[in-house]
Amino acid sequence: MRVLILGCGRIGTGLVQRLSVSDHSVTVIDPAPKALARLPASFRGRKLVGDVLDRHVLAEAEIERQDALAAVMPSDDVNVVAARLARVVFHVPRVVARVYSPHTTEIYYRLGIQTVSTTSWGINRIAELLSYSELEPVASLGSGVDILDVAVPPLLVGRPISALSRPGEIQVAAISRGGKSFLPQLETLLEAGDLLHLIVLTSATDHLVAILRH
Amino acid sequence: MHIMIIGGGQVGSYLAGLLQEAGNRVTVVETRETQITAVQRTAPNTFFFLGDGTDPGVLEAAGIRTAAVVAAVTGADETNLVITSLARFAFDVQRVVARVNNPHNTWMFTPAMGVDVALNQADVMAQLIARAVG
Repeated sequence: MRVLILGCGRIGTGLVQRLSVSDHSVTVIDPAPKALARLPASFRGRKLVGDVLDRHVLAEAEIERQDALAAVMPSDDVNVVAARLARVVFHVPRVVARVYSPHTTEIYYRLGIQTVSTTSWGINRIAELLSYSELEPVASLGSGVDILDVAVPPLLVGRPISALSRPGEIQVAAISRGGKSFLPQLETLLEAGDLLHLIVLTSATDHLVAILRH
Repeated sequence: MHIMIIGGGQVGSYLAGLLQEAGNRVTVVETRETQITAVQRTAPNTFFFLGDGTDPGVLEAAGIRTAAVVAAVTGADETNLVITSLARFAFDVQRVVARVNNPHNTWMFTPAMGVDVALNQADVMAQLIARAVG
């Protein structure tokens, strides 16, 4: 696949490295020669110094022959304009623009531009990490098995506890619901507001996190 | 007619004054609070809306849905192009006019980017001067 990357900052550099591994043909444009100098010596793609909205620079980068384009300059406006030009003027099939501003993703999608808001992503991820701190064990059953209390995540509401159980790894020991606790059966359905008391193999904690985030 | 101008610098304020004298209802959207006095001096009855014109929520709150014309006249070409795209394709504004700051960027100011009319100051001035000289 031929990929054009506009901007060689942290994200641009990281993208280049990530894509070079999978044998894509990568071209990078940045107005600052210093930025391009950050690319590793092993980079075999093309580097172009120039304005990412300059028609001649884009022509030199053969934008019309690219399969995909990522606009990752520091300015949201530059990225959105570059992405839209790539779509409607140069007919690049796959285009993604990085934006800082949250809340605009949907409106740009309607304009044919796929955006990734690193700000929203960061907020969600941090909130997620903060709210999963309850995965700290409540108690330990000797070495290697823990008891964890977890609020039922919205996506598991209405599903049987078998959606969460893993033989030999994760077991739902008890559920607290409406001020009372009981021992569930495999077909017991989870309800919003349930607090789950789990017995988990310490080595399966990551597995549990994956199921809860799902 | 309701006209919305995005960018309340020298160009935006002067334009607001002219359009208002011609009997239009004018809204100016500008990010710098300090520009409010400059706009009100040149165009006293203008509705000044503080906010970023590239934010669809700001455009909506400033009343873009009732605007017959939107003029994007900020000092940054990429900003003007984001505004024209939103005005045309997200808000269906009938007529969209934009200021081109750097003549090299003129190629981007097309209907595909929501622009009906692009005005390039440097080009207009150069042509007038050339005519005066010749």
